[in-house]
Amino acid sequence: MIDPPHAAPSVTEELSAVPESGSGSTAVARLPDNRALRAQQWNTLLPKTYVILLALTVIWIVVFPQVAPLYYVSLALVVLLTVVLGVSWNIISGYTGYISFGHAGFFGIGSYIGALLIAHNLTAWWLAAIVAGVGTALLALPMGALTLRLRGPYFAITMFGLSELARIIVSSWDSLTGGGAGLYLPFLEDRTSNFYAMGILAVVAISVAYLIATSGLGLKLMCIREDEVAAQTLGVNTTWYKIGAFALSAFFPGVAGAVYARQIGYIDPITVFGVIWSIRAVATTMFGGQGTIIGPILGGIVLTLASEWAWAENAFAYQIVFGGLIVLVVLFMPGGVMRLLELRGWIPRTRQL
Amino acid sequence: MDEMHYAPTVRLCRRRFLHIAAAAASSLGLAACSSNPTPAPGPTTSAGAATAPGSSTPVVIGVAISTTGSNGDTGTYQQQGYQLWEEAVNAKGGLLGRPVKFLFYDDQSDPTTSSRLYEKLITQDSVDLVLGPYASNVTAAVAQVTERYHYPMIAVGAAATEIWQKGYKYVFGLASTTDLQYSTLIRDVIGPLKYSTVALIYEDSLFPISEINGAREYLKKLETKVVLDEKYPPKATDLSSVLTHVRDANPDVVLGGTYTPDSELIVRQAKELNVNPKLYAFTVGPGDPNFVANLGADADWITSPSIWEPVINTPGNAEFVQRYESRFNRSIDYHVATGYSGGMVLDAAVKEAGSLDRDKVRDALANIRLQTVLPGEYRVDQTGAQIGHVMMSIQIQNGKRVVVAPKNLATGTVMAPTPPWNER
Amino acid sequence: MTLVQVIINGVLLGGVYALFAAGLNMIVGVMRVINLAHGELMMLGAYTTFMLFSLAHVNPLLSIPASAALMLILGMALQRLMVERVVRQPLLSSLLLTFGLSTLFLGVALNVWTGDQRSVSYLSGSLSVGGLQISVVRMVAFAVAVALTGATFLFLRCSTFGKTIRATAQHPDAAQACGIDVTRVRMVTFGIGSALAAAAGSLVSMMFTFNPEIGQAFLPKAFAVIVLGGLGSFVGALLGALVLGVSETVAGYFSSGQRAESVAFVILIVMLMIRPAGLFGTNE
Repeated sequence: MIDPPHAAPSVTEELSAVPESGSGSTAVARLPDNRALRAQQWNTLLPKTYVILLALTVIWIVVFPQVAPLYYVSLALVVLLTVVLGVSWNIISGYTGYISFGHAGFFGIGSYIGALLIAHNLTAWWLAAIVAGVGTALLALPMGALTLRLRGPYFAITMFGLSELARIIVSSWDSLTGGGAGLYLPFLEDRTSNFYAMGILAVVAISVAYLIATSGLGLKLMCIREDEVAAQTLGVNTTWYKIGAFALSAFFPGVAGAVYARQIGYIDPITVFGVIWSIRAVATTMFGGQGTIIGPILGGIVLTLASEWAWAENAFAYQIVFGGLIVLVVLFMPGGVMRLLELRGWIPRTRQL
Repeated sequence: MDEMHYAPTVRLCRRRFLHIAAAAASSLGLAACSSNPTPAPGPTTSAGAATAPGSSTPVVIGVAISTTGSNGDTGTYQQQGYQLWEEAVNAKGGLLGRPVKFLFYDDQSDPTTSSRLYEKLITQDSVDLVLGPYASNVTAAVAQVTERYHYPMIAVGAAATEIWQKGYKYVFGLASTTDLQYSTLIRDVIGPLKYSTVALIYEDSLFPISEINGAREYLKKLETKVVLDEKYPPKATDLSSVLTHVRDANPDVVLGGTYTPDSELIVRQAKELNVNPKLYAFTVGPGDPNFVANLGADADWITSPSIWEPVINTPGNAEFVQRYESRFNRSIDYHVATGYSGGMVLDAAVKEAGSLDRDKVRDALANIRLQTVLPGEYRVDQTGAQIGHVMMSIQIQNGKRVVVAPKNLATGTVMAPTPPWNER
Repeated sequence: MTLVQVIINGVLLGGVYALFAAGLNMIVGVMRVINLAHGELMMLGAYTTFMLFSLAHVNPLLSIPASAALMLILGMALQRLMVERVVRQPLLSSLLLTFGLSTLFLGVALNVWTGDQRSVSYLSGSLSVGGLQISVVRMVAFAVAVALTGATFLFLRCSTFGKTIRATAQHPDAAQACGIDVTRVRMVTFGIGSALAAAAGSLVSMMFTFNPEIGQAFLPKAFAVIVLGGLGSFVGALLGALVLGVSETVAGYFSSGQRAESVAFVILIVMLMIRPAGLFGTNE
C-alpha cells in the first residue's frame, strides 16, 4: 500500500482498544496538557466550521449563477465536477487504499444512462441523473466483487481495463447508444439547473465523505488500507466494506456524468470514457492529499482553475500539468498539500480534515 | 479519539478561526461574482488585418478552431481561409465601412472545449459575429451555444445532416450535407460504369456514419447490392481485419466513409492484402494534398467526392488559389476554400441586412443566394441546410486530382477498372 | 485459406508484441516496477524513426539502433533520477509515478507533434507465398522483432551481465550481498527495457499509422502478454504474445475491428481474475 499520508499509526489500536466516539479521551490523556486542550478545541471547532462552510457553499451555489457571467458559471461547473470526481475517487482510493485508474468508466456509464433516459424522454432530467448514479453504483457492485480481490497495482490496471472495455461495449452497442456517432440530447435554453445539480451533488459528496471519514466506517476503511489482513483479524468484514465503498464511489461520477451530458448536449464514447477524467480525479486528489477530506476539494479547485488559465496559453497543458504534478507529488510530496501542511504543523493530524 | 499532534507554534483561537473561515468563504464568493472578467490570455488575433488609420472600431468575429489536436492540420487550413478572407475584405473597406478583426481560440478538436470557448467569445469577449469551427461533432456541440445566444453561425467546417434536423434557427450550412456527399459519385461515376456490388467501410463516428447513410440511399436507386457494411473504431491503427472481410466479399466498388489517416491506412493495407476492387472511393483523404504525397503511386485510380477543387472555374477561384499559395507557401486544401467562402457569405449577409444586428443577419443568411469560390451557389432551405452547393467527383490520375463529374466542371474522364496491385 | 492467412497475420503481429512486452517483462521482473510509461517509450521510438525518415530520409530499419539508443539513455536517466527513489516503496508509488510520466510524455508529444496520424511508408505490398499474401512490412518487422528478442534472451542467459540481471531479479538482497551493484543493474535494465520498447515502436511506425496516443493503445497488450506468459519467463512471454496476436486477428476476422480492440483487455481482466494472487512471481 502507498505510504499512508494521513492515518494515525495506531488506527488498529484505536479500533480494538477504544469504543468509537467523536471526542478525545483516553488516547489523548497520554499527551501533555496544553496539547490535549488544543485537541479538544480542534475537535469541537472543526465540525462547526464545516457546517458553516457548508451553509456558505450552499448560498454561493444559489447566488452565483444569478450574478456571475455565464462563462464563469460554466467554469465553476467544471470545478464542481472535478471536485465530485476527486472526492468520489478518494473514497475508494484514498480511504480504502485501492487505487483505481478506471474512474472514467463510472463517469461514462452514468453519462450514457442519463443521456439515454433524457433523450428518450423517459423521466424528468434530475430523476434521470439520480437513476444514472444508482445504475452505475449497481453495476459497480459485481465489478467490485470481482476486482477487489486483486491487490494494489493489479486492481489499478484492471480498473483501467474495465473502463476501456465499458467504452468498447457502449461503442459497439450502437443500436442502443448510437455508437460512435454519439447521442444528442434536447437543446436547452437555460442551463442554470445543471449548475445547481452539480453544486448539490458536490455538497452531498463532500458531506458523505466527511461523514465516512469521521465515523467508524471510515476508520474501518482506513484500517483496510493500512493492513487488510489485520483488519480481517479484528473482525472487519473487509469484502463488504470494500465493495460498499467502491459502489459508493461509483454513484457520484454516475450522476455527474448524466448532468455533464445534459450540459454539453452531445456525447460520444470517446469523450465521456476518456482517460482524462480518470487523470483529473487522480491528479487533483493526489495533489490535494489523498485520504483527506479537504484534499480532493482543494486539488479540484486549484488545479481546474490553474489548468484553465494554462490551457488558454498552451494546448495540451492539462496533460503536461497533471502528469507532471503526479510525478512531483509522488517524488517530493507524497500525501499532497494536506500532508505538507501537517508536517509543518499548520494543521493537526486528524481524520476530520 | 484522533491522535492530535501539534507543533507548539499553532495558536488556536476559536473566534479567530471562524473569522478566517468566513473571510475565506466570502472572498471566494466575491471573487467568483466579480463582474470584471480577467482578459483571456493566449487567444491569437489575426495577423495582417489592414486597417485604415483613424478607422472606426473593428467588427470582431469570434472563432474557435482546431489548430492542435486530432484535427489540427485541417483546422489550420480553415483558419487560413478565414484569414485570407479577412485580408480581402479589409482591402475593400471592411464590413459596413469598419475593419474586420478575428479573435481565434484553439479548441483542440474537442467539442466540450469548443462549446465553452464559443460561450466565452460570446459572453466574455462580446464578439459581434461568429463563424463556425472545424469538424461535425465539434460543430454539433457548438450549435447549441450559438443557438442559445442567437448568434447566427455559418457551419463552415461541418456537414453532418443531423445538425440541421434539430430545429436550429441560427445555424447555416455551407457545403452539401453529408447525406449528399456521395450523390454525384454514385450517380455519375458508379452508375454509368454499371458496377453492381459495393462494400461500405467507414469509421464509427458522426461524419462518416452520416455520409454512408446517405450513400446507401443513393445506392438503392442504382440497384446495387451492398455486400459488406462494416464500421471500424476511430483512430484505428490496424484495419487488416476489415480489409480481409472486403477481400472475401469481392466487391466491385469499395466505398469508404473516412478521414485522411484511415483512408491512407486502408490503401496501404489493401495493397498488403491484395484487395482489388474495380473502384475505390473515399470521402476525406484523397482531397488532402498529403494523401498523394504519402502514398505516391498507390494513390492513383482512387476516386473521391469533392466539395471544391483548385482547378474549377468558379468566380475568383484562380486568383484565390494563387493568393493562398503565395501567402502561405503550401498546397491548398478545400478547407481553405470553405473558410474563405464562409467569410464571403457572411459579408454578403451583413450587406443585405445593412447592419450587424444578429437577427437581421440571420434572416439574410436564410434568404440570400450568391456565388462563392465553391461550385454551385450558396442557398439554404428552411432548416438552414445547404442546397445550392454542387458535389463534384474527382479521381487521382498520375498523382493529380482530376475532376470527373459533373460534366460542366469536369477536367477529365474517369479511368476504370482499377488494375490489381501487383500489376501496377 | 483466408483463416490461415488471418492466423499468419496474427503470428506476425505477435512478434512485435513480444518485443514490446519483453522490455516490460524485464523491468517488472528486476525492479517490481509496473512501468505504465512503457507505451510512451514505444511511442517516442516510433516518432524517432518517423523524424529521421521524414527529415533525413534515414532508412527506417537503420534507424532502429538510433531510436533504441536514444531510449536506452532516456530510460536510464528516468530510472536513476526518479524511479530509483520509489523502488523501495510500495508498488503503488512506482505505479503512480510511471502513470504520471506516461501522461506527461503524452502531453509533450501532443504538443510537439500534434495528434495527427503519422506513418513511415517504407515497405509496402505483399509477397505471394503459396496462395497466401504475406505483408512485406509485417514479415520484416517480425524478423527484426524475433532477432532482437532472441538476442536479449541470449544476452540474459549467457552473458555475465545478463546473469547479473537475472540474479537481481531473483533476489535483490542476495544479489547485493554477492557484491552486485543492484542500483546500476536496475538502471541498465530499465534502459534496456526502454530500448526494446523503442525498437518495437520503430517497427510499429512502419506497420501502422500512429499518433502520440498509440502508447496507451499498446500498453494493455503488453500486460496481457505478461499475464498470459508469466512474469520473468521469456519464452512464456513470446508464446503469450503469439496467442494475443492470433486472438486479435481472428477476433477481427470473425467479428469486427472493435471487438478485436477489446481482446487484450478481456485477456488481461480474465487472467487477473483467475489468478487473483497475482501471476507476478512468488515473492510479492
